[in-house]
Amino acid sequence: MEDLFGNISLGFSVALGFKNLGLCFLGCLIGTLIGVLPGVGPVATISMLLPITFGIDPIGALIMLAGIYYGAQYGGSTTAILVNIPGEATAVVTVLDGHQMARQGRAGVALGIAAMGSFIAGTAATLIIAALAVPLSRFALLFRPADYFALMVLGLMLAVALARGSVPKAIAMILVGILLSTIGRDLETGDERLTFGWSEIDDGIDFAVIAMGVFGFAEILRNLEAPEARDVVRQRIGSLLPGMADLKASAMPVLRGTGLGAFLGLLPGNGAVLAPFASYTIEKKLARDPSRFGKGAIEGVAGPEAANNAGAQTAFIPLLTLGIPPNAVMALMIGAMTIHNLVPGPEIITKRPHLFWGMIASMWIGNLMLLVINLPLVGLWVRLLQVPYRLLFPAIVLFCCIGIYSVNNNPLDVYLTAVFGLVGYLLIKLDFEPAPMLLGFVLGRLLEEKLRQALAISQGSLSTFIDHRIAAGMLALSLVIAVVAMLPSIRNRRDKAFAD
Amino acid sequence: MQSTVPRTSPGPRGVSRDVVAGLFLLLLAAGAFVACLDLAIEDAGAVGPGLMPKAVALLTAGFGALILVIGLMSPGGRIDGIALRGPIFVLGAVAVFAATIRPLGLAIAGPLAMIIAACADEGVRTVEIIVFAFLMSVLCIGLFKYLLQLPIPLAPLLLGY
Repeated sequence: MEDLFGNISLGFSVALGFKNLGLCFLGCLIGTLIGVLPGVGPVATISMLLPITFGIDPIGALIMLAGIYYGAQYGGSTTAILVNIPGEATAVVTVLDGHQMARQGRAGVALGIAAMGSFIAGTAATLIIAALAVPLSRFALLFRPADYFALMVLGLMLAVALARGSVPKAIAMILVGILLSTIGRDLETGDERLTFGWSEIDDGIDFAVIAMGVFGFAEILRNLEAPEARDVVRQRIGSLLPGMADLKASAMPVLRGTGLGAFLGLLPGNGAVLAPFASYTIEKKLARDPSRFGKGAIEGVAGPEAANNAGAQTAFIPLLTLGIPPNAVMALMIGAMTIHNLVPGPEIITKRPHLFWGMIASMWIGNLMLLVINLPLVGLWVRLLQVPYRLLFPAIVLFCCIGIYSVNNNPLDVYLTAVFGLVGYLLIKLDFEPAPMLLGFVLGRLLEEKLRQALAISQGSLSTFIDHRIAAGMLALSLVIAVVAMLPSIRNRRDKAFAD
Repeated sequence: MQSTVPRTSPGPRGVSRDVVAGLFLLLLAAGAFVACLDLAIEDAGAVGPGLMPKAVALLTAGFGALILVIGLMSPGGRIDGIALRGPIFVLGAVAVFAATIRPLGLAIAGPLAMIIAACADEGVRTVEIIVFAFLMSVLCIGLFKYLLQLPIPLAPLLLGY
């Protein structure tokens, strides 16, 4: 316990430095600003703003990126309440009751309770991360290469099983991602792989190129085809402070949502997306009068908002302790760390305690800042929501171009991003989710490295994956998950075919 | 979420999405496998450079075949129309940016890319977008070139950097 407090105070001494405080604030502000805009999710936001952090030291850069991430989450909720569309996927549920509250002239209360619920959830999640990080990373240090390989496979399978859409297609996307990661010179033997004699891609494809192509440009193309109807609230926003009755009604939903979100966020897949749905369902079940839900019930805002924020934050745990990203945003974080020459994983806590604890402390500070930024600036966000998409998307295109060019100061990267934009657009048309591809791409190299190490230790014998109990157990579990998750998608289709 | 939404009923025209998706994966896997043919699976007793790409290509082919079969068993969703206007202008704008950033600099590449991209939307308004493109470019130059000091060319012909 004393260790924990010592670590946390070390963290605060880093995070409260003038520069880091400023970067945290800037990250939260920019993240909220872009998160508020509909059609620009956290993945696109982070990949777009990545170049801003290039010139900053690693600690500052990560603090700022984390700020951008949860700023985008907060901003998404604001849009959900004020406009009838979620600013991003995790705010889908908030739309249901949040927008109804806004129509009843209670937008301020909805925004207020969303911010407070998120803050409480964020505080709890930060404490959970601080408490779990050290034991988990110690455990991870016991892992041998074979176990690590199996853990990554298990993580990817869980991510697939918990994600939405067709399971075979999600697995295929992971495989394509891994395949993309093998492009370039082999690190051990120096052989060129899949470069088709094109020396420019000897070093492999930059993850930012893929991320911005399939999430930035392809998203724009998707949005252009589905013109949105924005329904910005015209009523007054009203008081931001919830009354006693509202607070009383929200207290338990916030606590339940926090617990639910913190747990689901730990799992691979997208806890921050899943958790609000789970929370909403539970609150509706527990409510004395479930018919109020969908008509502006405050519990339907408080619970899911807490759940989404807790989940968004505990998703950092697998990344920081095991070096395994549980979702696409965390995959981007790995990319960002690599750009700053940091290798995510259990060693970070012991080798770079300043960085690790500084980042944890900044998460809590960031949550506090968001509470302060979001509420007084609501008027600004409302005005921002009136910027039409026809102006928004060319600006996003420009931002992405500058960002991509700046990664290596190379115009070739910009061309490649355009190619991946086209690929992403076709993938959307073929009903593939691009997120698993990014996960596969980011984990691909680590998977290969661990596979090689494991087979080197066992002198080429595959039995090493069966002899090691941890590895064997995890691989068996992955197989079971894959089969169980895949069965319905095959069976349902057949039933439907027979019914036709 | 998507799986709970009923699929659109198969229309008379168009190709089954899953059939195309499966074929796409099979082609991709075949291409990757052929490109890796020369890479050794084993290298002096250790894992060679060919193992991972070849194994993953085979797995990809397997799932491609599975998705193809699923698509053939029940046609499922169709590919809805592929728009040309969006991809041409948005991706065209990106390509123009890539081509002009080094020789002409951000001062020209920036507004040019924005104006071309804006044409992707049918509701584009000429004067509005020109003014907005220049304002945004000035903002970006201030932010990226001066505030963040990124080494991005500004106007090489005019300023020399």
